Amino acid sequence: MATMGIAEALREGIREEMRRDPTVFCLGEDIGVKGGWGGAFTVTLGLVDEFGPERIMDTPISESGFCGIAIGAGVTGMRPIADVQYGDFLFCMMDQLANQAAKMTYMAGGAVKVPMVMRAPVGSTRRGAQHAQTLEVFFTHVPGLKVVAPSTAYDAKGLLKAAVRDDNPVLMFEHKLLYGSKGGRAEKGAISPVGEVPDEDYIVPIGKGAIRREGRDVTIVGKLLTVYRALAATDRLAEEGIEAEVIDPRTLIPLDKEMILESVRKTHRFVVVEEDNRTHGWGAEIAAMVAEEAFWWLDAPPVRVSAPDVPPPFAPGLEELYVPSVERVVEAVCRLVA
Amino acid sequence: MATPVVVPPLGTNVDTGALVTWHKREGDSVTTGEPLFAVETDKAILDVEAPASGILRGVSASEGDEVPALSEIAWLCAEGETPTVQSSQQPVRQVHPVHPVHQPNSQAPVHRFASPWARTLARERELEWTILQGSGPMGAVLARDVEAARPSPRSPVTPLARRIAHETDADISRMTGTGHLGRITRDDVTSPNDPREPVETLALTGIRGRIAERMFRGAHETAPVTLTTEVDATSFVEARKCIVADGLRVTYNDMLLQVVSRALREHPRMNATYEGDRAVVRRETDIALAVDTDRGLLAPVVRGVQALALPEIAAATASIIERARNGQITPDELHGSTFTITNLGMFGIDAFTPIINVPECAILGVGRIKPTPWVVGDCIGIRQAMWLSLTFDHRLVDGGPAARFLHAVAQAIEGDR
Repeated sequence: MATMGIAEALREGIREEMRRDPTVFCLGEDIGVKGGWGGAFTVTLGLVDEFGPERIMDTPISESGFCGIAIGAGVTGMRPIADVQYGDFLFCMMDQLANQAAKMTYMAGGAVKVPMVMRAPVGSTRRGAQHAQTLEVFFTHVPGLKVVAPSTAYDAKGLLKAAVRDDNPVLMFEHKLLYGSKGGRAEKGAISPVGEVPDEDYIVPIGKGAIRREGRDVTIVGKLLTVYRALAATDRLAEEGIEAEVIDPRTLIPLDKEMILESVRKTHRFVVVEEDNRTHGWGAEIAAMVAEEAFWWLDAPPVRVSAPDVPPPFAPGLEELYVPSVERVVEAVCRLVA
Repeated sequence: MATPVVVPPLGTNVDTGALVTWHKREGDSVTTGEPLFAVETDKAILDVEAPASGILRGVSASEGDEVPALSEIAWLCAEGETPTVQSSQQPVRQVHPVHPVHQPNSQAPVHRFASPWARTLARERELEWTILQGSGPMGAVLARDVEAARPSPRSPVTPLARRIAHETDADISRMTGTGHLGRITRDDVTSPNDPREPVETLALTGIRGRIAERMFRGAHETAPVTLTTEVDATSFVEARKCIVADGLRVTYNDMLLQVVSRALREHPRMNATYEGDRAVVRRETDIALAVDTDRGLLAPVVRGVQALALPEIAAATASIIERARNGQITPDELHGSTFTITNLGMFGIDAFTPIINVPECAILGVGRIKPTPWVVGDCIGIRQAMWLSLTFDHRLVDGGPAARFLHAVAQAIEGDR
């Protein structure tokens, strides 16, 4: 059992899967270049030394191109792990992901499988509109893609290994502020979800959520960074006598609905906290699901705490207003429980 | 702060109800959930519980008044407090004896809110959430308001007992726990049939409560005497056969209504009601007919029977019986009768001692018609015999006049006149 952050946990997960299965390989921009960072956020740092440039494959700056390579490799029997430097660049490969990877299995009547992992860092980190979006929801809307979003080191490694072994295209979203607060690529304001990660082989099953804190008064659902915002809020809420339950779905598609519904049936109040833009967002979907399936258990309307409908601002002061803060979560819950 | 006492919503398209009774008086101390007053709609009598604890003050509606739904008719105040707001609404309108004029409720409809979970809890606990004071936004009733009004009746359940109950479909909500701290244990779930436990407990409220109260008064506030006689109903049966053969749908009850009405006209002292210290003798024979309905015994009234021909009686009876059974009968149709007929013949009963439908003078119980050996002249023949049981209030009339009235009814049935 070693203690590590998410970036290291992902690296260990990739290393173990590549050792276990020779068809597993990595590709992406600057992931193995000598003297480089090991991708934009050090996840693949050092792997080229063990596996060589054929299995830690640097690609040209062509998102659509390397995504196509990954799909083709997957279809022909490999298990690629692709790395996009910033999730925002996923839009460049939208056709490859949404039209090709997601639909191939359906269109071929199940005869073709597309096992591939696309890792993408997201979240507002002083990088402005084109490098700091939270865009998971664009992909949760496409049938055929699985979407995971680990918020702890343990889950990062376990979900990565599960994603590699899955026969469907899996998008893995990682929050830039959660990679770790140390090292050369540590982001300003990063929190360190360092945790114990087993050395032995394990996976975190795709589609299974986690209750991060138990409580009886209100259910708060968050993902990635907002799980931590919600957890920080619960400490202050507890001082007010409000015991909040925090659920981290870990997997966005397929969603562990039952865990959320069961919690709402217990607490009768529901708040979803998301860094996504509010309108037509992820929170809207979760709130609608709760309203539809747990309506008669609700003692108050479902509430969303979201980013406003603007691009992530570059100015630090504005960014602080953009990302849901602990205060906003506390305020929303207090209003709901009052 | 004073809590208003509000008439609950009375149903779709029902603007007002009649205030039947105050269970508490001005100045009485009341606790939350106690029955406070009863209001009658066209369908039922609804007991309304106190929305809060306090002293009943500022009562602005009296028994018999017509009160609009959602109007404030009193306040529940703290000790020494007077109602902070005097009700500006004038909800109160005398119904009796002024001829009723329908006035639609002029107030805009008041929207009330309740959270889904509050509604769910209220439904589970058989509580009408609309009578609660909401503590949520816009006065919405929340789960905590339901909790306060009717705390969870559920005893704690051991996990094993819960699983067994789930597997065997046992209803733990009505069980009483015998375990530690009243916990429902495996033993309670596996042997819930304690012979000492009642199968069910029904509150005597609404129509049942009304029946209970009226029957008690009929039995204990009158001086009842029951006379019985057996009559030869052969020609009565034959007469009905002829009428039915002519295509008219006429029941024995319809024919009895006519017979009784005529006898009452000849013996008007029997067509009387007890009011205060007087026997008020009526000209019109407004005869109530006891009807067994799903909701209990109702006695809708056929008015002015003396002026009706048999087919008209039959039509009127069919109409009120049907409406009594499907709940459409109006309060007016259940009040103001001068005599009552109750027929248990269809249940195979011969004779019984009916209870007077107060404030009437008398009630006629009718038994079954059955072939019986009968002395006809010097021979014994088979005749269609029927028992009549007349209970009368000896305060209003004596045995002689009552017996003469019953004899007149019997003779009419036997076809001697």
